[in-house]
Amino acid sequence: MSGLHETMAAVTALTAAIAGFASLSLGIDRHWEALHGRGTDPGAWRRRLQGAGAGGLLVSLLACVALRGSAQGWVAWAGMMTAAALTVVLTLTYLPHRLPPLAKAMGVIALLAALAMLAA
Amino acid sequence: MKDGFRQSMAWLHTWSGLLVGWLLFLVFSAGTAAYFRDEITLWMKPELHQAAHTPVPQAVALGHAQALLARRAPTAQRWFVTMPSEREPAVRASWVPAKPEAKDGAAKDAKPKGRRRFESAELDPATGEELNKPRATRGGDFFYRLHFDLHYMSPIWARWMVGVAAMCMLVAILSGIVTHKRIFKDFFTFRPAKGQRSWLDAHNVTAVLALPYHLMITFTGLVTLMFLYMPWGVQALYPSQDRFFTDLNNALPADARPAKQAVPLAPLAPMLAQASAAWDGAPAGRVTVNFPGDANATVLISRQSGRTIGYDQPDMLFDGTSGRMLSSTRHTGAATTTRSVLYGLHIARFSNPLLRGLFFLSGLAGCAMVATGLLLWAVKERQKHAKRLAHGGRHIGLRLVDGLNLAAIAGLPVAMACYFWANRLLPAAMAQRPEAEIRWFFIAWGVTALVALARPTRRMWQAMLAAGGVLFALLPVLNGATGGAHLVTSIAHGLWPVAGFDLVTLALGGALLLAAWHLQKPAVLKKPSHKPLAAEAA
Repeated sequence: MSGLHETMAAVTALTAAIAGFASLSLGIDRHWEALHGRGTDPGAWRRRLQGAGAGGLLVSLLACVALRGSAQGWVAWAGMMTAAALTVVLTLTYLPHRLPPLAKAMGVIALLAALAMLAA
Repeated sequence: MKDGFRQSMAWLHTWSGLLVGWLLFLVFSAGTAAYFRDEITLWMKPELHQAAHTPVPQAVALGHAQALLARRAPTAQRWFVTMPSEREPAVRASWVPAKPEAKDGAAKDAKPKGRRRFESAELDPATGEELNKPRATRGGDFFYRLHFDLHYMSPIWARWMVGVAAMCMLVAILSGIVTHKRIFKDFFTFRPAKGQRSWLDAHNVTAVLALPYHLMITFTGLVTLMFLYMPWGVQALYPSQDRFFTDLNNALPADARPAKQAVPLAPLAPMLAQASAAWDGAPAGRVTVNFPGDANATVLISRQSGRTIGYDQPDMLFDGTSGRMLSSTRHTGAATTTRSVLYGLHIARFSNPLLRGLFFLSGLAGCAMVATGLLLWAVKERQKHAKRLAHGGRHIGLRLVDGLNLAAIAGLPVAMACYFWANRLLPAAMAQRPEAEIRWFFIAWGVTALVALARPTRRMWQAMLAAGGVLFALLPVLNGATGGAHLVTSIAHGLWPVAGFDLVTLALGGALLLAAWHLQKPAVLKKPSHKPLAAEAA
């Protein structure tokens, strides 16, 4: 396994988890309201956000397994999810309006890194 | 009925957490530090920071170590060679000096119980030159031992205490999950500056987001000491625990004897090559030579740790005179493998720095969870008795908890930092240096504890957090000023264990200072209801 492959797998794992958790958090009323005003709710967006969130976490898991194998991969995934979720919590608390752009940026980086990983 | 159950769980959660919380905070903090045990030890031996860091073939490093051992300890009972790795660039040669045979009985009485004295030397793996003898220190091993053996007391008693605390922790985690009504709704919620609400949020977030880790580390922690807590299985099958551990660790039986007949040791390089080939080219971690130069010599080579989750590494035993392989690892049973994996998960000696970093982060979350839980109890209790306290009433329990919280949460970082400062400020050649460093740790902690119990006030929190922050943040400066590789050099030379230590202590110091600064703001308990963020931004 080359160094580039490993680096890209690690980047994918972390960014996909952040994007995933950010999506999941926006599907929760409280956090949606914080961004779009009181009384609003995600409506039809809820399912899409939750689907994207689950997808992000799944990609993160696959990247972890690619990085450390099927045993240590799960362990790495648990750690990645903790790091990603803490990032999302801190963003929601102190920079809530940066969360949607953060989620998008992380999603794009995850996609690019995943492609680079598969190519390397 | 359901509410009744939840309430009884809440009671259980509160008391199982509170009563052992301070001990748990120590165990969590020291255990989290112990993930970087090797790095801490390297940092605390600045003499080794200059070791050449170019990888050399293992046979070369082993050859240098063997040459030194043959010169310095030809009559030793046993040689150990710890091969260089990314985490420890030097190759370490250690030996157990030959037993003084005549006064066996007398020596037994004179010596306190404990491990036999090792002697060791560290070499540059490329040139074989002996590195300057580093200062004596317990290094990161102190934190590792502290997190289950405590200190200044019998390790067995300490392990029982830590075991009871860990069991309470497991109870607290499980009852906490039941008590927490809105696990998913509040998954990402942290509302700062709202008094009790904020402490509860912080407690929930640090607990829930690292929940797999908390459950795993507590359970596997109990498993690491299971032969102490539940010895009956072993007792039923083995005459003594020593015999059992000899079997478990593939070690040389205690009754193995030298033949007292000199036969030269077979070359080690071919054995190393054979072992490594059997492990798909994985490097060796440790080479043990029993009775070197004797007809009964044996050589045990074990694989470098970090490739798998499991703790037990495969090994190979060779005849020391013919170089023939005698046996290779026997740990194949399901029970042994399970224990090895659980043990390995707990101590996380993974080769991958990213993985260890994630464990460290989760460990910090654990410290924060315990700390916020302890503070939450005090905040709630103060509110319950607010009226009485406002009229000058006293609440002995609350005052005690306040003092202990301050001593544990803000005092421990001061003590840890003092341990590192002592490492560099005490004279390098001082007698009994390791004990002196440890004494600095406990003196610093004792002083903070006394002050904390005497005056558990907001000002005192601020002062102690700031002291810990300054002591931690200045460690990189101290490192550069007292002979270590300072940050610029260590980063430029890719000496990441040392650079990482400096960067992490800098970050921890910054975090403590930030906490102290945060306390400067007046208490915000009765703030008007929070405006929605969207309105604020508009």
